[in-house]
Amino acid sequence: MSAGGGHATGSHERQHPTVRQYILIGILLTVITIVELAASYTPGLGVLLIPILVVLSAIKFAIVVAYFMHLRFEDALLTRLFVFGFVLAGAILIAMLALFWGDPAVINR
Amino acid sequence: MAQASHAAGAPHSTTGIDSRKVLMWIFLASECLFFGSLIATYLVFKNDIPLPPAGFLEDHTKDGVVTGWFPTDRVIDGVKYKGVLSIPITSASTFVLLMSSVAMVLAVYGAQNGRPKMMKIWLLGTMLLGLIFLGFQVFEFHEFGAYGLNLATNQFGASFFVLTGFHGAHVTVGVLMLGSMLLASMRRTGLGPEAGFHVETIGLYWHFVDIVWIVIFTVVYLIPA
Repeated sequence: MSAGGGHATGSHERQHPTVRQYILIGILLTVITIVELAASYTPGLGVLLIPILVVLSAIKFAIVVAYFMHLRFEDALLTRLFVFGFVLAGAILIAMLALFWGDPAVINR
Repeated sequence: MAQASHAAGAPHSTTGIDSRKVLMWIFLASECLFFGSLIATYLVFKNDIPLPPAGFLEDHTKDGVVTGWFPTDRVIDGVKYKGVLSIPITSASTFVLLMSSVAMVLAVYGAQNGRPKMMKIWLLGTMLLGLIFLGFQVFEFHEFGAYGLNLATNQFGASFFVLTGFHGAHVTVGVLMLGSMLLASMRRTGLGPEAGFHVETIGLYWHFVDIVWIVIFTVVYLIPA
């Protein structure tokens, strides 16, 4: 392989994380997963359980996209492209749930 | 644009960003729609599971407990149903996939900083962790089959296997791409002057597969019925 692999790919406005930072991010992701698991096994969280799990999952999602996929360091156009697809996917999800969860044939089963 | 992520000799574009990278992000955005639809379908069907027919109850009742019909444990009309989902096993596979993302980002770091040995080691590591994840998935599918749950059993089975099966197919494609990249890097000429770009692009795909699993793990396994 060529020695110059990567920063042949051009300069970035912000510096990418270092190896140590990547490993720390990996540890953080593991800790969040453990917290998710602990929450799912904790009785008594009641209606708080789903929001807690969704928020923790969203944090993990954002960390991977921002730091591992380098979106935080890339041009804003790429962020807009990805967010557009993600928001559309969320809209589909909400529309599907609204459509079917209101269906008495489903609710009364 | 200050941040032109051009590879050497890469086609220039009016955005200042390498067109191939833009294409990859458009592809990933379209994949969001694909998996979003599958997750929505799963959520709808997860709450629309009718009681099993008499024939299924006869075949899959052991010690008064019915297996292979519902995702989680429940008691309906005095009948005990044992859920098929195993959170401990899936937590282990989730950890493996998360660590594969760390390995992948280290491979990208190696490729982009002129450290070919580091790149190869972590590419191999990512591939092996991907294979372990697939092993977990095969084990899980086999277990579910033994309980009596398959694509045709009920709506839960259909939507579960389609969702996680398509994710597994994406992981398989990723493992194949990593393998071909690793083989190409073994050539005398290596991956050439665009090594960093190529590994980064495969890395984007791999991390995307990871974030999809982050959502699936929460929605399918952790959030109760």
